[in-house]
Amino acid sequence: MIFNTWDYYVLFLVPAALCFRLARASVRPWIIAFSGCLFFLYFSLTQLGGAIGAACLLIFLWESFISRFYKPASWICWVGVVQTILFLVVFKYRNFLSGLIWPVPQQNPLYWRNAFLPLGISFFTFEFLHYAWDRYRNKTETGNVGEYMAFILFFPTMVAGPIKRYQDFLPKLRAIPEDWVLDAQRGFTRVLAGLAKKFAIADLLTAYTNHLNIADIAQAHRAILPLWLLAYGIKIYVDFSAYSDIAVGSARLFGIKVPENFDWPYFQTNITDFWRHWHISLSSWLLDYVFIPLGGSRVRVPRIYANLLVTMFISGLWHGAGLNFIVWGVLHGLMLAVHRWWRHRPGAVPSAQFLPRAFSWLVTFVAVNLAWAFFCMDIHTALFYFRRLIVG
Amino acid sequence: MTGMFRIPYLQRVMEYLAGEIDAPPEGFPVALTNFQFWGLWWCILVGVIYIFSGQSSKFIYIDF
Repeated sequence: MIFNTWDYYVLFLVPAALCFRLARASVRPWIIAFSGCLFFLYFSLTQLGGAIGAACLLIFLWESFISRFYKPASWICWVGVVQTILFLVVFKYRNFLSGLIWPVPQQNPLYWRNAFLPLGISFFTFEFLHYAWDRYRNKTETGNVGEYMAFILFFPTMVAGPIKRYQDFLPKLRAIPEDWVLDAQRGFTRVLAGLAKKFAIADLLTAYTNHLNIADIAQAHRAILPLWLLAYGIKIYVDFSAYSDIAVGSARLFGIKVPENFDWPYFQTNITDFWRHWHISLSSWLLDYVFIPLGGSRVRVPRIYANLLVTMFISGLWHGAGLNFIVWGVLHGLMLAVHRWWRHRPGAVPSAQFLPRAFSWLVTFVAVNLAWAFFCMDIHTALFYFRRLIVG
Repeated sequence: MTGMFRIPYLQRVMEYLAGEIDAPPEGFPVALTNFQFWGLWWCILVGVIYIFSGQSSKFIYIDF
């Protein structure tokens, strides 16, 4: 919830943005850090994790402390990387991974009965990893502790991104534009547009997407099944782009422009371009911190395909601790590999004519939307969906 | 602007109305300083939010 609650606007966004604008430059990072702490505590206590969830604020404080010791080529950066992955494993993947060995929870010695996810863990850990790795490679400066805390505790982007980069955020934090009227006008408009998209489109589609369960699929007429999945494809786009609109608009009220997450992804004519326009801050993170370190495209061809599959496997796993998310990620990895092979086949010439482009768009759109089946349903239900769709 | 549907003008109008870009597309008659228009536009958005609120569900991408 959070962005569609009054609490977010009345208790946090408006007061924090106003204080930030009125404060001296040296105080501004601390206003973001302080309001971010309150935001994390408040929404952890009221919506996620309760008191133990709120105690996870210590993760941010510990990260703020240890990050001060990150130096280029230093082993402490590796400590930062390993501990961040451990945070993810403990909170997000513990039950899933141990469940692969002991499927029955009662027989699983590592099973965590009251497991919860600290607010925004999937997103803030990726920012921690980026900073540790970029400090190791000397690709970003240290900043001071207040600036780093402002970076990791900036509440408009804390819960679900866009995933920021420190070297991009820091100059903006240090040089807030004077034209606060422009920022307020654009930020306010963006927040309202995001809320309207969420309420009027995404939430309306829930009436259709709710049917994506085994009982309804079993009873439905075959012709309606693609429409339900299409509704999910539209809903997830509108829902997450609306969320990103509100996050980017909220950040703009502070005078800070954070990265965009979407750029008309469903208009793209191939899967590679789709991923360049869908959840852009995550795609570029995976490109820079997984695909390229694995060798990227500068290795032998079979390795390139393997790198694509590994990157999208991680993307799938990041999206959720479940086998269906892994299947979804690997499917996209396969689609990216097929597209790469198609683009680089002997004699390949990209066509600018309408019909081939329209066909290419249609194939991409249908493939992406069919793949959502493994995102919104468990494997068993998704396979049943396809059996009913194809066989009847 | 890439993609199948090369209607950049319409896309830029929508981006401008949604607060994504700062400058209006060439020829678009509404400047940022036109407070009557933006006041009316905000009222429309608030009206849409009000009409459809109350059915709100969780955002999909908040730790799923």
